Amino acid sequence: MTRRDEISLLLLAGLFLAVGAFTVYLWRGGDARAVFTGAAVPALAFLLLGIMWQALGFRADQYLLPVVAVFSYASLVFLYRLQPEYAYRQFVWLMAGLFFLFLTTSLFPRYRWLSEYKYVYGLLGVLLLIVPIFFGVEQGGARSWLDFGLFHLQPSEFVKILAVLFLASFMSENKMVLARGTRSVLGLALPGPGEWGPLMGMWGVSLILLAFQRDLGTALIYFGTFLAMVYVATARVLYITFGLGLFTAGGALSCLLFDHVKQRVDIWLLNPYNFIELGDREYNQAYQIIQSLFAIGAGGVTGAGLGAGYPRYIPAVHTDFIFAAITEEMGLAGGLGIVLLYLFFVYRGLKVALEARDDFSKLLASGLTALMGLQAFIIIAGVTKLLPLTGVTLPFISYGGSSLVANFIILGMLLSISHEARSHER
Amino acid sequence: MNDNIRKLGYFFIVIFTVLALYLGYLNAVVGPKLSADPHNRRLAAAEEAVVRGVIFDRQGVVLAEDRMVDGVKKRVYPRGRETAHLIGFVSQRYGRTGVESTFDRYLLAMDEAGRVRALVDRFLGRQRYGYNIVLTVDSRLQRKALNLLAGRKGAVVALDPRTGAVLAVVSSPSFDPGSVDTVVRTESSVQNGEKVEIKVTGYDILKMQTGDAPLLNRATRGVYPPGSVFKIITGAGALEANPDNSARVYECKGSIAVEGFVLKDFGVHGRVGLNEAAAVSCNTYFASLGLELGGEGLKRAAENFGFKLVEYDKSGRLEGGYPVAGDEIHFNTGTLPANKMPLPEVASAAIGQGRVLVSPFQMALVAAGVANGGTVMKPVVLERVVTRNGLVIKRMVPEAMHAAVSPPTARVLARAMEEAARTGTASRAVPAGIRVAGKTGSAQNPGGQTHAWFMGFAPADDPRIAVAVVVENGGPGATVAAPIAGEIMREYLGEVRGE
Repeated sequence: MTRRDEISLLLLAGLFLAVGAFTVYLWRGGDARAVFTGAAVPALAFLLLGIMWQALGFRADQYLLPVVAVFSYASLVFLYRLQPEYAYRQFVWLMAGLFFLFLTTSLFPRYRWLSEYKYVYGLLGVLLLIVPIFFGVEQGGARSWLDFGLFHLQPSEFVKILAVLFLASFMSENKMVLARGTRSVLGLALPGPGEWGPLMGMWGVSLILLAFQRDLGTALIYFGTFLAMVYVATARVLYITFGLGLFTAGGALSCLLFDHVKQRVDIWLLNPYNFIELGDREYNQAYQIIQSLFAIGAGGVTGAGLGAGYPRYIPAVHTDFIFAAITEEMGLAGGLGIVLLYLFFVYRGLKVALEARDDFSKLLASGLTALMGLQAFIIIAGVTKLLPLTGVTLPFISYGGSSLVANFIILGMLLSISHEARSHER
Repeated sequence: MNDNIRKLGYFFIVIFTVLALYLGYLNAVVGPKLSADPHNRRLAAAEEAVVRGVIFDRQGVVLAEDRMVDGVKKRVYPRGRETAHLIGFVSQRYGRTGVESTFDRYLLAMDEAGRVRALVDRFLGRQRYGYNIVLTVDSRLQRKALNLLAGRKGAVVALDPRTGAVLAVVSSPSFDPGSVDTVVRTESSVQNGEKVEIKVTGYDILKMQTGDAPLLNRATRGVYPPGSVFKIITGAGALEANPDNSARVYECKGSIAVEGFVLKDFGVHGRVGLNEAAAVSCNTYFASLGLELGGEGLKRAAENFGFKLVEYDKSGRLEGGYPVAGDEIHFNTGTLPANKMPLPEVASAAIGQGRVLVSPFQMALVAAGVANGGTVMKPVVLERVVTRNGLVIKRMVPEAMHAAVSPPTARVLARAMEEAARTGTASRAVPAGIRVAGKTGSAQNPGGQTHAWFMGFAPADDPRIAVAVVVENGGPGATVAAPIAGEIMREYLGEVRGE
C-alpha cells in the first residue's frame, strides 16, 4: 500500500501555490525571502505529512489531503494578495493546523472509545458555548469570541466537533428506537421522551447560539448537520420535515425579534440585481453584499487575473467574503473550481462513511462531512446572495485561526476513520 | 445505513449544482449589468487607466470623447446641451448617467476580450483604450428639437418604427454636461466656530433649480396625463374587441353623462365615425368606446402597448416606485390604476384624463407600434460597438417587444390618424409633400394651461419616423406640439431623401 496518488497530487497542488505566489510577488512586490518561505514551508510540510504517513503505513483516503492543500494554498495566495499581514498569521495557523492534523491521526487510530463519553461532550460543548456569552467579545455583530490577548478564539468552532461526536455516539446507541419508535401517536410511530429529549436539546442549543451569540450562520450549520445525521441514522423523512418546520419557526421568530437578522433578510429580498434603482439608504445597508456581487460580476469567465482586480472594495473580504475575491480574480472558472472541490471533499468524506464498519464511525464521518459541506455551501450561497448572508468562514480558505485548526482536526478524524476501516481490508 | 449516506450525497450534489448554476447565471447574465452599475467603484478605477471610448451619432458626428486639456484627461461633449440628457455625463463626484453609464462596459472595454487585453497591455505598459460606440441617434434632430422647444419645458422623442432605433431624445430645458464638475463659486460659512469653505459646482446650481429641473430627463422620466393622444389606445382596444367598430357611427351631442358625472366635449360633433372622431378629437365618441370596452378592457389595451398597472393607496398616492422599462434607455412606462375604476373614471381614462400617466418615450413607442403594423419594436440606441482599429464587435439586432394590436387594427388606426393630420387637429404637423399620421392632445392638469401633446409618424404609407412631443403647460397640442413634430419629420425625411 503506497500513498503515491496523494504525494503526486500534493506536488500538483504545490505547483499551483508556486505559480500563485510568484504572480502575487511580481504584482505587489514585498520581501522576496518572506514570500518564498511562506510558500515553500507549507508545501514541504504537506509533502512531509504525506511521506510520514507513507512510512507509518497510514492507509486512509489519499484524496482528502490534496484537496485541503489546494484550499490552504489558495488561502495563503489570496490573503497575501489582499493583505500580507493576514497571510503571515494564517501561515502560522496553518502550521498549527497541520500539527493538529498529525496529532489527531496518531492519537486516535482506535477512536471508538470516544463513543463512551457522550455526555462529557454534551456538557463541555454547552459550557464552551455559554462562556463567550458572559466573557466574550463581539466581532462583526456576533458575540462568540474569547479574548486571549495574543489571539482571539472562537469556541463555537470547536463545539462543532463536540456536537457531532455527541450526536454520533447518542444516535448509534439509540438508532433502532429512533427509527422505529416505541409508541404510537396519532398513528405515527414515535420514540419516547428519553430518546428524543437529548436531540431536542440540540435544537435548543442552536437557538441559544442564535439568541445570545447572534450567530445565525453557525446555528444554521449546527442544525443542518443535526438533520443530516438524524436522516443517516433513521432514514425518516418525518423527522427532517418536523425539524425543518421547527427551524423555520425559529428563523421567523428571530427575524421578528432581532433587528440584525431582519436586516439581513431584508437585504436578501432587495430588488435582486438592479442596484441602479436603489435608494441611498438601502444601498448603504446592503453595501457589503453589493460590493461582493460587483466583484463576482467583474470577474467574467477568466477573471481579472491575480492581483488585477479590486476585491478590497469589499469590507471583511479576507474572512467571510474571500470567495468573492477569488471569483473576481480567477473568474467563474476559479469560482466553480472551488465549488467543485468542496463537492469533491464531501464525496470523499461520505465515501469514508460508506467504508466505515460500524454505526458510530459512519455517523461520525457523515456528520463531520455534512458539517464541512454545509458550511461551504452556506457561506458561498451567502456572499452570492442565493441565501441571506450569515457570517461563517469558508472552510480552510477564510482567514481565521480557530476555524482553521478545528477544520484540520475534523480532517484528521475523517482520515482516522478511513484508516481504521481500510486496516481491516485484505 | 449506507443507503442513507448515499442519499445524503445526492442531496449535496443537488445543492452544489444549484450553487454552480446560479454562479454561472450571476456571472454571465447579471455580471454585465453589475459592471455597469453606477455604484460600482471599479468603473472609476478603470477610468483612470483607460482612454474612454468615443461616442458617435449615426452620421459619425462626435458626441463625446476624451481629450487632453492642459495635460489633464477630460471628457468633452462637443454637442453640449443638445445631447445632455441622452449622453449623460461621467463625474467622479456625481456618478454617471445616460448612455455614458449604460454602455460603460464597452466604453471602458470591460468585456471578456477586453479583460484579457487589459492584462496584456498592462504587462507591456501600453495605453489602454475603450471601445468606440456608434449610436442610432441623429445629432441634427437633437439640435432641431432643442431649438424648437426654445427653452420651454418639454420633450421630443423620435424613433424608427421599423427597428426601434432611437433617433432623438431631447428634454428641455437642458444643461451643459461639461460644466457639472466645474466649481462656480466658493462660499464660506462658519460652522461650530470654524470657517468652512463650500465649493459650489455646476451640478449644485442645476440641482437647486427645482422649478425648471434641468437635470430631469423629461423625455424618458417625465410623466404627464396624455389627454387625447391616449384615444388611439382606446380605439385600439375597441377595434381589437370588435373589428366592426371601425364602421361604427356615433351621435355626438356635445356631452355624455355617466352615473351623474357629465363629461363635456369641445363642441357638438353630430354623427361621427372613427376617422372624423379622431380628426376632431371627439371626447364623447371615445368615452363611449371606453365605456363599452370597460375598465379592464381599457387596461388590457394599454398593457398591450407596454403600460403597467400601479397600486394607489387610500390617500391617492402611488405605492412603490414608478415602473421603469428598457435595457438601453430606461424610461417610465405609461400607467393606469390597478384598482377597479368606477365608470366615470373609465370614461375619463378613455380620453386620457384622470389617473392615466405617460412619458413621452412611452407615447413615441405607441406611435411606432401603430406605424409598424401593430408590433412595437424594442427601443435601442446602440448601433454598433467598434474597437479602435475598426473591428465591429457588436451590432444592433432589431427585436420585437410587444405585439400591441393586430395588423388590420393598426391599419385602421393609422388611417384615422392620417385623417386627423389631413383634415383635423393634427394638420399643423404636416410639412409640404409628406403624408403624416398623427394625433394631438391637450391634457388638463392642475398646473395651469394644458400640456400640449403630439404623437404620430411619417410617411403615413411607409413609416420611417415616429415622433412624440410634449410641451408642459404649452397650451393646445394642435398649435404648439404638432408644428414641432412636423419640423422634426421634415428634417429627418428630407435628410434621408437627400442621401
